[in-house]
Amino acid sequence: MAVPVSQMLTVTKYVLMQRLKGVARYPLVLMLEPLFRCNLACAGCGKIQYPDHVLDKRLTPEQCWAAAEECGAPIVSIPGGEPLIHPEIAKIVEGLVAQQRYVYLCTNAILLERKLDEYKPSKFLTFSIHMDGLRDEHDLAVCRDGVYDVAVKAIKAALKRGHRVTTNTTLFDDANPERVRKFFDEMMALGVEGMMISPGYSYQKAPDQQHFLKRARTRELFTRILSKPKAGWQFNQSPLFLDFLMGRREYHCTPWGNPTYNVFGWQKPCYLLQEGYAKTFRELMETTAWDEYGSTKNEKCADCMVHCGYEASAVQDTFGTVSGFSRTVKLTLLPTSR
Amino acid sequence: MTDTKNHSDGDRSGSLEGRRFLPASPSELVEAIELAFDYRGDVTIELTSGERLEGYVFNRNTGGPAPAVELFPTVDPGVRHILYSDIRSIAFTGEDTATGRSWEAWVAKKDSERRAEIERIAADAKARGHL
Ligand code: SF4
Ligand code: SF4
Repeated sequence: MAVPVSQMLTVTKYVLMQRLKGVARYPLVLMLEPLFRCNLACAGCGKIQYPDHVLDKRLTPEQCWAAAEECGAPIVSIPGGEPLIHPEIAKIVEGLVAQQRYVYLCTNAILLERKLDEYKPSKFLTFSIHMDGLRDEHDLAVCRDGVYDVAVKAIKAALKRGHRVTTNTTLFDDANPERVRKFFDEMMALGVEGMMISPGYSYQKAPDQQHFLKRARTRELFTRILSKPKAGWQFNQSPLFLDFLMGRREYHCTPWGNPTYNVFGWQKPCYLLQEGYAKTFRELMETTAWDEYGSTKNEKCADCMVHCGYEASAVQDTFGTVSGFSRTVKLTLLPTSR
Repeated sequence: MTDTKNHSDGDRSGSLEGRRFLPASPSELVEAIELAFDYRGDVTIELTSGERLEGYVFNRNTGGPAPAVELFPTVDPGVRHILYSDIRSIAFTGEDTATGRSWEAWVAKKDSERRAEIERIAADAKARGHL
């Protein structure tokens, strides 16, 4: 099983409580970006494209803890930039763990082995390692040779110390399905707990009529990758989200499921689109025009099938429909039945 | 780590870098502010008082009785709130950090150019103690 039972129960209890309370919009994962600076410069990465004085800004530990309390999501994912550059990131993580939140610290792993001493293994802490494929593909994706080997070494070191480790992979439509399947084998052979995958986001500012073709291509790609899964593969995400990527379920985006907080404030409406910022989580929830987003509603969203918008939709399906629930149970117990 | 590999279009010719807008009407002002908000670089805002503020426009609130821009000044750590009604002109003075940074542009580069870029970025990260 990719996720510990305690984490599954926490999330299940949280979702059921929100539903019982009649809360229509509730967050599942807080995307906490404590800084935008990175020690890589992957081509086109939208997160590092700021002037130096903005890249030098960082959230304080107190701001991070307050954001998590304010939003209340049971899971906190910490992307960036590269969070391990933040001088107080271990303290930030410790405080979030003390709040009993399940923390996914997303890193390119360049600094991980050097910093491992600063972290105590805990069921609440997972290192989520950015791996975009086998050595050639990954090094090309991050625009630097040797990063794959550094990351593999860091994964082994973290696992040896008893840490939870997952990988997170972004795939674009040039991915080779056979190589991706081989990559899954290699990651599982390293001993990682599970893998997270998502299609890349190819929003172009100008609308074009190829959008639907792009979505169709994404479905075709993920069908080729995920059909006939191998017995050892574990995915650290909702099985229904994988169904969605393969075109087997249709979802509308749930952007409030993964709210983003960073040095600018609470980002409207999601991790990918910047339409403005709110000062508080409550203001974000109350002032964002949520109904204006999603693939059928907004040209900026037309191609998007990214986990931060649709994973929460899959979770809602699990808890909100009989077919979603039974399919989740089936795929959780029998992942190779896909 | 992020999902925004193709976010920028990599088209240098379309960049606003170096341009200055002197809005002649409220709608032109709103348009110029939207461009500044989307811009991945610093701008210089000239106020009707004559003051000039250089920084990164990270937010704008269009609703309510007093629409305002929020800016991180280049030289001080705070936030400046600037009323729309106080803005005289907006100049795109800082480097457009998104231009030419698309995946396609990177792949299209010569191998030697790519190597040089990788070395430059690594040296910068090393100098900051991030490698
Ligand atoms: S469809 Fe994608 S880009 Fe649009 S709001 Fe949802 S997550 Fe954001
Ligand atoms: S490692 Fe992540 S944050 Fe850093 S440049 Fe690459 S995609 Fe951007």
